[in-house]
Amino acid sequence: MTLAPDTTERFLPSVDRLESAMHAARRAFERGDTDAALAQLGAALRLKPEYDAAWILKGAVLQKAGDREGALDAFMQALRCNGNSKEGWMGLASVLHELGRLKEEADAYDRLLAFDPRSLDAWIDKGAVLHELQDYAGAIRCYEEVLALRPEYAAAWNNKGAALLRLGHEADATRCFEEALQFDPDCVDAMANQTYLYEKQGYHGEAVLWADRALRIREAPGLWYAKGLAHLGLLESTLAIRSLDRALALDPTLKEATAALRRATAMRGKSDFYRGPYECFGTHLEGDPGCEECEIRPRCREVTP
Amino acid sequence: MSVPSGAEVEHADWPTLQGMCRSLGLNPKGRSGVVRMRVLEHVRRRGRPQSWRAGRDHMAALLTRLGFPDLAEDLWETAIRLDAPGPWVGLGQAQVAGGFLNEAAKSFDRAIQMGDTSALLNRAEALGAGGDYDLAIAACESYLASHPTDLRALAMKADFLVRSGFKEEAARILLAAADSHPEFPFLHAGAGTVFLRAGRPEVALEAFGPTPHMEASAIEGALNHGAAFLLLGRTREAIDIFQKALEKAPERGEALNNLGVAYLQMDEPKLAASNLARAAKHLDTARIRANLEKVPKAPPRPRAKKPAARKKPDP
Repeated sequence: MTLAPDTTERFLPSVDRLESAMHAARRAFERGDTDAALAQLGAALRLKPEYDAAWILKGAVLQKAGDREGALDAFMQALRCNGNSKEGWMGLASVLHELGRLKEEADAYDRLLAFDPRSLDAWIDKGAVLHELQDYAGAIRCYEEVLALRPEYAAAWNNKGAALLRLGHEADATRCFEEALQFDPDCVDAMANQTYLYEKQGYHGEAVLWADRALRIREAPGLWYAKGLAHLGLLESTLAIRSLDRALALDPTLKEATAALRRATAMRGKSDFYRGPYECFGTHLEGDPGCEECEIRPRCREVTP
Repeated sequence: MSVPSGAEVEHADWPTLQGMCRSLGLNPKGRSGVVRMRVLEHVRRRGRPQSWRAGRDHMAALLTRLGFPDLAEDLWETAIRLDAPGPWVGLGQAQVAGGFLNEAAKSFDRAIQMGDTSALLNRAEALGAGGDYDLAIAACESYLASHPTDLRALAMKADFLVRSGFKEEAARILLAAADSHPEFPFLHAGAGTVFLRAGRPEVALEAFGPTPHMEASAIEGALNHGAAFLLLGRTREAIDIFQKALEKAPERGEALNNLGVAYLQMDEPKLAASNLARAAKHLDTARIRANLEKVPKAPPRPRAKKPAARKKPDP
C-alpha cells in the first residue's frame, strides 16, 4: 500500500514519535531514571491516550517510584484499554499486594485465569495470596493446577508443602519438600521448611543438617534461630550460641533468639558437646555403615529421637 | 582426578563412597546418606561451572599472604563448613601467621579429623614454629606412615631433627630421601652437609657420592664436599674441588678461603696468602681474617753482603 504524500505527513510522524517516546521511556526506566521515563510516557499518552502498553509501563514506573496509588490507576487505565492484557492484570495484582488488598489481588488473578487458565505465574501467585489469607486448601488447589501443567516446578512443590504444613499434614508436607529438593536441590525455601518441620518434630540433628544447607545459599535470621534451637536440643552450647548470635546480628529485634541465647549461655557450664567433623550428629541410623564407624556414636545415639 | 557421575554416586557402596570423598577432598565421615548427599552436591556443582568470583575462602587466603592474618581469620571462620577440611587448614595458616600457634594446631587437628592428612604437615609446621620439635616430628611421622616417600615430609622431619640437635639422624633421613628420589641429586649433598655438621666427615664423604656436581645451584654442596676431604686430610682432592668450583664461581669468598686453608695445609704459604687475601676482599668475615693471620710471614730477605774490598795488586 502506498500512502499519498500528504497522508504520510499527517500520520507517520506521530507514529514515529510515539515509538521513539516509548523506547526512550523504557531506556530511562531501565537505567532507573523514573522522572525521565514518566516525561516520555506523558508524551506517548498525549499522542495515543488509549495505549495499554504505555499505561502498563507507566504503572511499573510509578510502582518503582513508590507511588502505589498512581500505579494502581495506571494499571486500571491499561485494563480499561485492553481487558485481556496479562501484564495489566499481573501488574494490578502486584500493586494490590503491596497495598495489602489481598482479596482484590486474588480476584485479579481470577480475572486473568478466566481468559488464560494456563498462566503458571497467576496460579502460583494466587496460591501465595490465598496462603496469606489463610485459605490453605484453596492455595493447595492452585499449586495442584501448576503441578498438573508442570510437575517438575520445584517452587510449587515447596509452596504446596508449606500449605499442607499449615493444615497439619506433616507427612504429606515432607513429601512435597522432598519433591521440591529432588527437582531443585538448591531450593532454599524447601530447605528452610525442612528445617522448621524437623525442629518442630524434635529431630534436632536433621534440623541442623538442613539449616546448614540452606544457610550456605542464603542467610536468614529465622534460620539461624532454628539452627540455634536445634543445637540447644543436641546440647551443643557453643554452636547454639554462635547461631543465635548470628540471628541477633541479622535481626536484633528477635526476642525468641535473645531468650534462647540466655538458655544456651546458662547451659554452657553444664554441657557443651563438640561434634567434630560429623555434620549428621543427632541422626543416628542403626546398621548404617557410616554410623558403625562413627567415633561419637554413643553420644549420637543418645540424642537421636 | 575424575569426577564420578551422579548415577555412580547414587549407587556407590560405602567403601566406594569413602574413596570418592578422599579423591575429591571431601570429609568422608558421617551417616552414609549424608556422605552420599555431600558427594552428590559436590558433583552437581562441578557439573555446572560458573564464572569465577572470589569467594570468602579466596579472599581469606589472599589476606593471609598480604599480611592481615586477623582479618583472614575472621573470614575463614565464616567460611568454615562441617563437611570440608580446607577452611580449617586456611584458618590454621592465618593463625600461624598471627602467632596463635596453639590455636593453629587445633584448627589443623580438625582438618586431620576430616580426613585431610596433609594437614599433619601444617600442624608440624605450627608446632615447629612454637619450638615443640618432638610433636612436630611426631606429626611428620604420622604423615609419613601413609606417604613414606613424600619429599616435603622427609625434608621437614630432617629439619626438625637438626633443630632439636639430632643432626646425624636428620642426615640419615635425607640420605634415605636421596635414595628414593634419584631425580633430585642435591639431596646427597644435603645429607653430606648435615653429616659434616654432625662431625662425621668420613660418613659425609660417602653421602656426597663419588663426584661433586658443579652446577651453579650445587656449588654450596661441592664446597662442603671439598671441606670433608680437607677435614680427612685428603688435601689434594679438596684443592681440585675448590679450584673447579672457582672456575664456575670465581667470586665465591668461601671457596677462596677453603682453598687458602688447603694450601696452608700443603705448606704453600704464598698460595694460601693470595687466596685468603682475595677471599677477604669478597667476603670480609672474622674467620677469613683469622685464617689470613695464621699464614706464616716469609722470613726477611738477607741483606746483600758488601763485597770484600779487593786487594790492590802489589805494585
